[in-house]
Order: sequence, then structure tokens, then C-alpha cells
Amino acid sequence: MNLNDDSWKLNAFVDGELDLAGQLEIEQRMELDDALRQQVETLRALSVAVRGKADRHEAPAALRSRISAMKHAIRPQAPTTARRAQSALRPVATALAGWLSWRPLVTSMAAAAVFAVTLNVALLQSSKQERLMDEAVASHVRSTVGPHLVDVLSSDHHTVKPFLSSKLGFSPPVAELPLPGSVFVGGRVDYLDGRPVAALVYRQGDHVVNSFVWPESASDSKPEFATERGYRIAHWLQGGMHHCVISDVNREEFQRVVDAVRATAAS
Amino acid sequence: MGDEENWRRFEQLAMPHLDAAYNLALWITRNTDDAQDVVQDALMRAMRYIGSLRLESARPWLLQIVRHTCYTWLKENRPQEKVLLDDPEDAWRDLADASSTEPPAIAIRKAERAQINAAIAALPVGYREVFVLRELEELAYNDIARIAEIPIGTVMSRLARARALMRAALAPATRPALRTVPRPAQTGQKP
Repeated sequence: MNLNDDSWKLNAFVDGELDLAGQLEIEQRMELDDALRQQVETLRALSVAVRGKADRHEAPAALRSRISAMKHAIRPQAPTTARRAQSALRPVATALAGWLSWRPLVTSMAAAAVFAVTLNVALLQSSKQERLMDEAVASHVRSTVGPHLVDVLSSDHHTVKPFLSSKLGFSPPVAELPLPGSVFVGGRVDYLDGRPVAALVYRQGDHVVNSFVWPESASDSKPEFATERGYRIAHWLQGGMHHCVISDVNREEFQRVVDAVRATAAS
Repeated sequence: MGDEENWRRFEQLAMPHLDAAYNLALWITRNTDDAQDVVQDALMRAMRYIGSLRLESARPWLLQIVRHTCYTWLKENRPQEKVLLDDPEDAWRDLADASSTEPPAIAIRKAERAQINAAIAALPVGYREVFVLRELEELAYNDIARIAEIPIGTVMSRLARARALMRAALAPATRPALRTVPRPAQTGQKP
């Protein structure tokens, strides 16, 4: 009975869902009780492991376009439109399949050739990109779990910018993000892609956002988004700088953060 | 409120949560094709009621519809899948007491991605959905209670059981033989 009672309470404690008195009670008991502390540590480890490693599936593009197609399917305002919408899409698929099977040999040879070329190009690029993503995630995680989140703790960009410029040999754009709930924490020097980079640190609600910047002479590009070990990453080229933003905020919020970083980098 | 207006609301309020909707549906159905069909069906329903939706509650609102659609779908297509609800405490009690010479927190930290995914997929669906909503969608107990249509107390007990099962799957007790080696009493649990 005692065990059950504790179990839900410890879970709620780890989730921050107990009232203040309850949180304090558990904290006090943890100081005296090794077994209890171990249980809490186990629950926390489980949360971290699951959030970091379990798949959070993203809606496939095909589903997205099926949903967008509903806009037209929905016009007639019939009570059970779901099945009908599906069948409305089927003819398109059938037509496509029919066309593809029209000249299977030609199609497959062409496809194989295109595939082989793109695969080679893609592999070359992806290994470099993957390494960059990996390093970005590692830096981000290190900054959030270690004591070294920032070198300069200042919300004043006039303090942070000269500091970073002096350490780095280039001058990164430093600014607060014009977003509700966004706090500029400071900056630090980090290493990515085998070179020192500027890391600007923001807090978005409870989440940490790392925005890495380093010079790279190439023309501007649109942000590419990726998810790596549960973190969202976007990177792009803008104004002679490579930007790489990473955080564990949700998808919509991440999009807003990226938009804000781009806007401040442009101004 | 014309069709255009409704669609605009739908795009603004429901579409941002499409990933969450798909993630929940996939973890409940455990099949990508089924999850896509269910989500489309659910969004079709959501579209019909979009006029009555308040902005701040779009996510739990949509997930509630998705979950509901999932269960209707499961009932029709996989009636053999048992929806494990408030079962007596039996099997779970043993698990929670698993003891080991290695602290389970360490074993869990070492767990691989595939192992974690498999452990979640193996949870009974009633625990799985609550666990996914909490750990992957990071929702508050309040929202989970609303989505799963259960009281908060039940959210808590299911979450506790889901985690006990996860722990048992990821940090199984080490071989009992290890514990028969005599040791001084005070070094018992901690390394």
C-alpha cells in the first residue's frame, strides 16, 4: 500500500505536478532516504532517455497533402466526408500508377540512373551535414547539462558582441529576439565543424535555444530543418554567415524562433 | 462562417498540431498506414467542429478527437486488442520492486533508441497513450486527463504503471546469483 501511494506521488513529483507542499515533502524525504532518491533518479533517467531517444513521429508529406486536399473535398458539406475524401484521392493514385507501369523498363532505368547520381551527391553532402548536426546536438546538450551555458552572462548585446568578436576574429550578429517569452541569456565560444563559432543563448519559456554562427562565404539559402535525437535543428546561410539554431521547443515555436533569428540577422 | 473562413481557422488552429496528432495515432495503432487514415478521418471530424473551438485549447482538443478516432478504429479493425484499463494491481506490484546491484538509472541511461521504442510499443495501449502524451508531447496532467477522458487520479496511476513497466523492460534486475555473494551490510545497494 505504501509502495503504491509513493509511486504515483513520485511520478507526479518528477513531472512537477504536485502542489508546493507535496514537492517540498518529497524533497525533504529524499535527503534522508537513499532508496527514495534512487527511485526519483530512475524516473528522471527514464524521462530523459525517452525524450532524447524515442521516436516522435512527424506527419509524412503524403498525409499533409491529403489533409490539404480536404479543402476541396469539404465543400459539399456532407455528413460523412472522410471516406469519400479518401476515395476522391484514389483516382489520382491509380492514374499515376497506370502511367508508371506504362513503360516499366524505361521508367525504372531512368529512375535508377537518377537515383544513383543523386545518391552519390547526397551521400557526400549528407555525411558532412550529419556530422554538423551531430556536433550541434552535442554542443547544445553539453551547454544545457553542464555548467558552461554561457561565457558572458548578459542580456545586453553591447556587452556580448565585443566579447565574442575579440575571441573569434569575426563579428557575429547579436540581438535579442523579438518574440514573446524569449530571453537573451548571453553568449559563448564553441566549436563546430572544426572551427570556433559564436553561440548565442536564449531561453524560450523553459527551453534553451542555442544559435550558432560562423562565417562562410556562400550565397544565402533557405533554412533546412531536421530533427536529431529529439532536438530540432535549422541551418541556413545568410549575409556571409552560417546559422545553425537548435532547441527542444515544439515545432511551431521552433519555426517562430528561426524566423526571429533570421529577421534579426537581416537587420 | 463560410467554408473559406472555416478552412482558414482550421489551418491556423488545427494544422500546427498535425505532427502531434500523427505521433499519437501512430503510437496507438502502431502502423503507419492506419495512423495516416485515422488522422485524416480525425481531422475531417475536427474540421466540422472547428467553429466551436477556442484558440488556447487547440492541441488537447485535436488530440482528443484523434484518440477517439483511434479507438473507434481499433474497435472496428482490431477487436482482439485488449484495452487494458484499471486492472488489479497484481503483475505490476512485482515489477516495481525489482532490485538490482546496478542502479536502474544507469541501465536506463544506456538504453538504445530501438530498445526504448520497442518498450513503449509493448505497453498496453491504455498506459501507452498516457505515457506518450506525457513524455513525447510533454502535456500537463490536466490536458492528458481531458484527452484520454479519465480523471487526473487515473492519469497518475496509469503513468506510474507505464513507467514501472518501462523500467522493468529497460533495467531488468541483474542475475539473482550476484546477490547471494555475502557483502558487508552497509554496501548493499549503492556502489
